[in-house]
This record gives sequence, C-alpha cells and structure tokens, in this order.
Amino acid sequence: MMALTNSRQVRLAERAYRLLLLAYPAEFRRAYEHEMTQTFRHACRATLSQEGNAGLTRLWGLTLYDLVRTSVQEHGQALFLRLLRLVSRPVLFLSPTGLEAVLLTSPLHLQIAQQTDIGIKRALNEDNLLTVLPEDPQILENKGALFVVADGMGGHELGERASELAVNTVRETYYQAEPVDVSVALIQAVERANTLIYEANKALPDFPAVNKGMGTTCIAAVLQEKILTVANVGDSRAYLVHAGTIRQISRDHSLVAEMVRNGEITASEARVHEQRNVISRAVGIAADIEVDVFIEAVEDGDALILCTDGLCGQVYDHEILQIVETYEPQESVRQLIAQANAAGGPDNITAIVVRVD
Amino acid sequence: MKQKERTPETMLPLTPAVFHILLALADGEKHGYGIMKEVTQRVEGSMHMGPGTLYGSLGRMLESGLIEVSEERPDPEMDDERRRYYRLTSFGLRVTEAESRRLAQLLRIAQAKRVVPGIQGGF
Repeated sequence: MMALTNSRQVRLAERAYRLLLLAYPAEFRRAYEHEMTQTFRHACRATLSQEGNAGLTRLWGLTLYDLVRTSVQEHGQALFLRLLRLVSRPVLFLSPTGLEAVLLTSPLHLQIAQQTDIGIKRALNEDNLLTVLPEDPQILENKGALFVVADGMGGHELGERASELAVNTVRETYYQAEPVDVSVALIQAVERANTLIYEANKALPDFPAVNKGMGTTCIAAVLQEKILTVANVGDSRAYLVHAGTIRQISRDHSLVAEMVRNGEITASEARVHEQRNVISRAVGIAADIEVDVFIEAVEDGDALILCTDGLCGQVYDHEILQIVETYEPQESVRQLIAQANAAGGPDNITAIVVRVD
Repeated sequence: MKQKERTPETMLPLTPAVFHILLALADGEKHGYGIMKEVTQRVEGSMHMGPGTLYGSLGRMLESGLIEVSEERPDPEMDDERRRYYRLTSFGLRVTEAESRRLAQLLRIAQAKRVVPGIQGGF
C-alpha cells in the first residue's frame, strides 16, 4: 500500500517538474529534459522511501530554488550572446569573462588567408597587413588571434611607413598589455600607433604647415574564444559573413559615409563620388585620436573579412559574400583581389579572410 | 591551423559544482543521479546539487572536453531504465589534479598563517 502511494506521488511530482522545465531555454531543454526528469524522479523515489513526505517537501524546496537560479543563468547566457550579435554600433562593453560559460567554451579553430596587391594604377603599395595566431595556447586563450589591416597615405614612401608602423605597433602593444579587457587593450594599441606616427610626423621638416606628413587607416580585429572585437579608424572595413548574409561590422570614417549617414547622398552615389577617398579620421595626423570599437559573437562557419577600400570600393558586398561562401579562405582572397583588379584596380588591395570552424 | 592542446591551468579556478562533479567521476563513470547522490552525501547535505545545476554544468563540461559520455545502459542497482553514463577525459583528470594542487597550496598558506590547524606537526 505504502509503495503504491509513493509511486503515485512520484508520478505527480514528475509531471509538475516536467512543466517547470519550460522555464529553461528550448535548446537546453532539448538536450537535457529527459535526463533531468529521470534524475528528479529517482531523487523523489529515494527521498520518499528514506524520509517520507517531509523529505519530499525539502527536496521540492531545494529543486525549485535550483530551477529558478539556473534557468535564469541558462537564459542569461543565451541572451547575452544574442545581445552581442545585435550590437552593431560603436559601443564599449565589459568583457564577458565574468561568465562561467566563457571559461568552458570550446577552443578556437581558424582557417586564415591574407594577401596584399599593388593594384593596377598605383606605383607604390602603401597597404600593410598582419596576422598573429599565438603558438602558446595560454596566450591564444587569454589574448586571442589578432588581424590588422592598414592603408597608409602620404606619398614618398611615407604612406607605407605609416601603415607598417601601425600594424607592428598594434601587434606589440596588444600582446604586451596587461591582461585587461580586449577592447580596452585594442584601443590602447591603436592609440599607441597614433602617438608613434604623430611623433615621427613632428620630426619631419615643415610639418604640418607645408609637409602634411603621413597617416593611415587602421582596422584591428581580435578573435578570442567566440567573441570578435574590432577597433577601427578610417575607411578600411571589417565584414562578418554569417548564415548566408554579409554585414559590415565597422563604420567608415569617410566624408562620403558621413554624407550617407546625414542623408545627403545615397550609398550608390557614394561609390562613385569624387571625394570618396577623403577620410575623416586617420591614425597619426593629430595628437589625439578617437577609436571605434565593435563587439560581435561569432559562430562556427562564420567568416571574418578585413580589407582596404581598394577591395570594397571596387567589389560589391554581395560579390564579396558570394566569393567567401563559395571558396576556402586562400582561394577567396585570390578571387577577391582578382575581381578588384578586373574592376580597374585603381588602388592597393588588401584582404584577410578568417573562417571560424 | 588546429590549436595545440590546452594546459589544465587555463581552466582554473573551477566553480564548486564543476569540481564536485569531476571528483564524483574520479573513481569511475556515473550517471546523473549517481553524481547528484554522491555530491550530496559527500558534503553531508551542506550543498544540494539540483538537476539544473547538474545538467547545466555537465553540458559545459562536455563542451570543453572535461568529460565525455561513455554509454547508455540501465543501472543494475536501480531499474531497467537506460541512463547516460559520464566519465572523465584525460584532460578532465589533469584539470582535476591541477585544481586539487591549487587548493592544496591555498590550504598550506592557511595552515602557515594558523587559520586552520596543520596536518603535520612542527614548531
């Protein structure tokens, strides 16, 4: 008789618990609902036979407390990643390393390809690029992989010097920084590059009255765990390809981009505008600089693209998407540059393609 | 460009739930209820690990390679229902050792400062 009553109580408790499991995110439920119900049922059975109804009441109390706490936590993690994906304007974010989930995420697997090309019309290649994939797994875990593209200007080899100084300074400063927030470290790295190039400019004769000196765009991206952090100054770009769509992550600091934002011209007018090469922010031309930062969550299968305007000024976003979706990174980079040259190749062309898998 | 193997130290410190689960699996594979029972008994009821904490932690531990699913089979001591058994991976074992060493080191500091009595005599 006793056993019969117990099994009925257990069945009721199990039914109630199954309903309460709706508090968890769907994905979590799909993975563990069956096992959680099974485990709860056995805890009920064992508690009832050892401690009777008082034990069952205590078990319910503990289980409800656990359910409320962990369902909020599981939702929080799912929501946090979704929120990161939604953020597409310049914003400073606290690093998510406070979350337990980040401690236990899977390691980063990347396919990387990069190339720079002088183009067809220019006598010099003033672009520079750099990729760092740390060998040391601890550094990779703490600091992530770094990708930098810079498009220098100034002529007489100055442009090349500025972009080279920018990519190397960003690399050194970023990896030497104290283990702080990735976005803070990236901003400091670009600011350091700005200081060094500006100092070099001040040493030039007649700067800035006659000699305008050198400057460069700089886009730097860090992939750490599954979080992408992008720092940008100028009109080089970062794109993210996700689930068959392409999205520009960075915001151009150019005259035409500002005119588009103000509604003065359309995006297609901007592509052929006379002053489309005029940038409104650059690294190295003033003592102070404002760096934009963008943070995104990436998923397996996503691709990150960094490029100079020699690429995105000639090849449309949907064409970039089609190439990156069709080919592996190495071939993608080759095709992107070939297509920019086929469209006239008026400027230096640089691209880095990184696939997360 | 696959990543080299991670060092166990990069996983530290562990949350109490994760460390308890690793310890419960240290002497052999267990199913979810087996883990929950052992953890609750070991700490003499001072910590109750509910199903939400248990499976949330198990999911993340599977993802990071600390544990793996060994098989699904009934537990002869319980009933004929099939249950999923979990076991430590070699990485999980090394993380358990590393966390134990870290805690032992902390304990030695506490002992040296006479916060808790030391096991060995001395002085």
